Amino acid sequence: MLNYSLRRMMAVIPTLFILIVICFFLMRLAPGGPFTSERPLPPAVMKNVLERYGLDEPLYVQLWTYIKNILFHFDFGPSFSQKDRTVNDLIAQGFPVTLTYGFFSAVFVLVLGIPLGVVAALRHNSFWDYVMTGLAIFSQIFPNFVLAPIMVLLFTLSWGLLPGGGWNGGQWPYVIMPAVALGTSYMASVARLTRGSLLETLSAPYIRTARAKGLPERTVLWRHALKPSLLPVISYMGPVFVYMITGSVFIDVFFSTGGIGQNFIDAAYTRDYSVILGLAILYSVLTFALTLMVDLVYAWIDPKVRSGLK
Amino acid sequence: MRTRKIMNSPAYAEAAAEEMINSRSFWVDARMRFFKNKMAVVSLTMLFLLALFAAFGQVFAQWSYEEIDWSLLGKIKEQGGPNWENGHYFGVDELGRDLYARVVQGSRVSLLVGFLAGILAVCIGSTMGAIAGYYGGRTDQIIMGAFNITLSIPYIIFFVVWQAFFGRSLEQMILVMVIINWTAGLLIVRGQVQTLKNKEFIDAARMLGMSDAKIIFKHILPNMLWVIVIYMSISIPEMIMYESLVSFLGVGIQEPNTSWGALISEGAKTMTFGTLWQLGYPAAFFVIAQVSLYYIGDGLRDALDPKER
Amino acid sequence: MKIFTYALALTMTTALSSQAIAANVPAGTKLADDQTYTYRMLDESSSVDPQLVEDTDGSGIVRDLFEGLYNQDGNGKSVPGVALGHTVSDDNMTYTFTLRQDAKWSDGNPVTAHDFVYAWKRAVTPELASPYAWYMELMSIKNGAEIIAGEMGPDALGVSASDDHTLVVELSQPLPYFADMVAHATTFPAPKWAIEAHGNEWTRPENIVGNGAFVLTEHVPKERTVRERNAMYWDNENTVLDKVVSLVIGDDAQALTRYRAGELDKTDIPAGQYPTLKEELPNEAIAVPRLCNYYFSYNLASGPEAFQDVRVRKALALALDRNVIVDQVLQGGQFPAYNFTPAATAGFDVPSIDYADMTQAERDAMAMELMAEAGYGKGGEPLAFTYLYNTSEAHQQVAIVASQMWKQKLGVDVTLENQEWKVFLENRGNQNFEMARGAWCGDYNEASTFLDLLVSSSGYNDAKYNNARVDELMASAKSSQAPGPLYTEVEQILADEMPVVPVYHYSANMMLKDNVEGWPVNNVQQKYYSKDMYKVAE
Repeated sequence: MLNYSLRRMMAVIPTLFILIVICFFLMRLAPGGPFTSERPLPPAVMKNVLERYGLDEPLYVQLWTYIKNILFHFDFGPSFSQKDRTVNDLIAQGFPVTLTYGFFSAVFVLVLGIPLGVVAALRHNSFWDYVMTGLAIFSQIFPNFVLAPIMVLLFTLSWGLLPGGGWNGGQWPYVIMPAVALGTSYMASVARLTRGSLLETLSAPYIRTARAKGLPERTVLWRHALKPSLLPVISYMGPVFVYMITGSVFIDVFFSTGGIGQNFIDAAYTRDYSVILGLAILYSVLTFALTLMVDLVYAWIDPKVRSGLK
Repeated sequence: MRTRKIMNSPAYAEAAAEEMINSRSFWVDARMRFFKNKMAVVSLTMLFLLALFAAFGQVFAQWSYEEIDWSLLGKIKEQGGPNWENGHYFGVDELGRDLYARVVQGSRVSLLVGFLAGILAVCIGSTMGAIAGYYGGRTDQIIMGAFNITLSIPYIIFFVVWQAFFGRSLEQMILVMVIINWTAGLLIVRGQVQTLKNKEFIDAARMLGMSDAKIIFKHILPNMLWVIVIYMSISIPEMIMYESLVSFLGVGIQEPNTSWGALISEGAKTMTFGTLWQLGYPAAFFVIAQVSLYYIGDGLRDALDPKER
Repeated sequence: MKIFTYALALTMTTALSSQAIAANVPAGTKLADDQTYTYRMLDESSSVDPQLVEDTDGSGIVRDLFEGLYNQDGNGKSVPGVALGHTVSDDNMTYTFTLRQDAKWSDGNPVTAHDFVYAWKRAVTPELASPYAWYMELMSIKNGAEIIAGEMGPDALGVSASDDHTLVVELSQPLPYFADMVAHATTFPAPKWAIEAHGNEWTRPENIVGNGAFVLTEHVPKERTVRERNAMYWDNENTVLDKVVSLVIGDDAQALTRYRAGELDKTDIPAGQYPTLKEELPNEAIAVPRLCNYYFSYNLASGPEAFQDVRVRKALALALDRNVIVDQVLQGGQFPAYNFTPAATAGFDVPSIDYADMTQAERDAMAMELMAEAGYGKGGEPLAFTYLYNTSEAHQQVAIVASQMWKQKLGVDVTLENQEWKVFLENRGNQNFEMARGAWCGDYNEASTFLDLLVSSSGYNDAKYNNARVDELMASAKSSQAPGPLYTEVEQILADEMPVVPVYHYSANMMLKDNVEGWPVNNVQQKYYSKDMYKVAE
């Protein structure tokens, strides 16, 4: 297993390299550069600006310098749009924010989604099943860009319970709405997957056998059925969790959390090359870590998968 | 290894053979089971009605989808609501254009784009996931690398570059949506295949000399079709909403054409200002599609469950 | 610019008249206990370094943290800042500013003319590579352009300190409005010692040294900026606000909700919501003129053949019902525009332009006539073109309405095309369009900031309009002491040839709590200074 993990970790290096190259050229192909503005810069000024950021060098030199700086100095370069900051600064500031509300959001999703799915599956076609269905539909009808304004209208404007946005160092009243608004639709999907998967497992022969042996329903569920049923949920949550902790663009913009998601979109619009690249690398590393974790959890739950990970 | 030993027992070979015979009538059974499911059939009908609405709804419209009702412009909030007398059944949008006609037009775009892109993306994702899960090793690593890169690529830049080089059209839009979302369902299918491929009946089939493709399609696929189906029913509405972002960035459809996603996000922007119908009507259609897909997905899940056999 | 009458400006010191340089609290006003002013910013500022800042919101922060030679009062007139006044030489090429003795940096060091010399040289050095170096070039400081181009060292810049409190500036050509340009952030002083000690990180709250009424105490990018009263500021006694907080809120509607919830003292009004809010909160909803215009650019270089015909250009301009766009679509107190330069521009008299005084019905009739004469549209050769705009709701609305007007009145078929901002800029700048959206905000309060756009050599002339007379008039306006009539003639030529279609002139729409006083609603450039504001008790 350790061996397997190590091998997977080695694979991240070529992946990252390919990613950097793709993003690097993709950005250069995009029309307009970081200093294209409504007020075109006079050629002399433009020349100075490009020189300062090394953008006048041949592309392969730029790419090499970029990779070299990461490898030897762990320096992801300066931001072009926020001139007082470097990419390292921006990630150091924004990532903890999204990590915080993303984590609580994931907790919210799992703590509510899984039990809902379990209850719905056990009481197939019962009241709880309908509640779950209703909730799943509701949360999809109200995607976060509809849900968030409604929440703010209620909790901030009408009842004055929670601040309407901002982060303020991450005090808990500021975390609640972003976390819930981000998680709701995933919660519904998790409930749905849990329900589907558990129904599937409960009809498996070995569960029938266990029941036939007269084991109490509770034991059947907890000992035998639940763990394998959670596998699809875990696969689903892997990328979703990456998405959550890197921050939803909408949540960051709407709740003004100052999270990393906002940088991702702003950097793309302003062609802030180094910020885009830095964030793509961060996303990639996180995705990699989370998929590896998903695989390891799989292996832990299912011994046969484990033996497959030679 | 343990699995090898079990696999060698004659009982398992027999079970595997039985499995193969059964799978022949599998699809027939599934169809029967599906049509027994009331909600699923109702939902399928609803979806069909939506398609009819999209195709022929403009027959009943009294305005075209791009015409501005100058008499209402500037007084939308007070007079722009749904009104049978002036022919704006669903009211008008922010610019005084007939919302009914726009919803009809938007339904066409959204249904087409949502279904095509959603189904295509999940199909590609599932196939790649199945291949990665089944073969493992280097194949798995390459596919997972591609998965990782796709997830990390700044999609806004990707759309912008695409638009700059290939221009704008409906086909382009569906294509880029599939390219960016081809990983839909990949991880989940990969995980399912990883667990399924170690199941005894697969070993048995392999021992009987079945080809990999046959094993995947005959034995693994039916056992995880439910995942793909549920994923698809989640993906299609997601794609319908995703379309509005892609169009916003200039790749997709262009005003005066519209879509559910565009209408809903426009409506959501002004929902706190008292023009709720602008969100309500397009959202209602979207919800009908979504709920229908939900039940169709569930119905298919039950119908395709191999253990129901 | 009219404050400095040039007749006076021989060698006599022009002491600035106004004393309104701090919060002007009328006697008997009961001030609120909590003097914290919180407002919304659309986006994070590009920098709080005076020489690097590019955006208007960022400049607002910089004006609190630093103080330049002059400030602007509530009407946009220059008033003393660090400089008490200036003299101008006979040839109008040398400006000598006298600095106040009591100005201090937040670390206690005195503010001297050397700090300005350092800052101005810094602004043009190729090493700093400030995108706003163009502003220094615009100010026509001697050798500025050469230094930017790397032909001379920064020390050659025509700015020097003859003593600690006297700053001498030499120009490369007379510039009538030069003294008004020093209220801009790029020209603010910079603390050499702090910049050398901390390098790139000198603008962090823990490192920054400023000479403004406030100091930066907290700065979380994309979330908030907090500045608090600077005890070292020379006029600290008259500063009323204790704390100024700017919150970055990207969504207009959400910002309004938070304003309603009492989290903000000022925010912007979402598109189209001004009339409703004005009715609901008449004391808080404000619309004031802003020095910006909005226009459609024809591509005269490589656009459709029809655009070469002045009748077609005029017909399209005439058929555009600006009142509908302004009053029924945008609804934010904008001004229908029939000429290029906003009427609010200082020293600019709007020329009488024939079609401005017609009714829309008359304009439509004339448009149809012109179209028929040119042989296009209904009954003639079909006219179809693409209108390019950047993705944004307001631009889209204007585009849709305009295209429908042209379609219905003139039978013109307009395809709309939206593009992401930078793609749009790239295409528009390279004449890769047929008709495109254009907008311009004045860099300074004078008509040439707008009319220069249509000079044939201008880098902003997207229409590629080329008229020798316009070029000549604008060139002579540069050094003219009374350029007004020249501008009027240029506008007249533009109205006759219609290289661009003026659509409207902007207004600034905002919600401002009625207990906040001192926000300069009459300043068309919206240059606000927190030190001039205060909150009254409710």
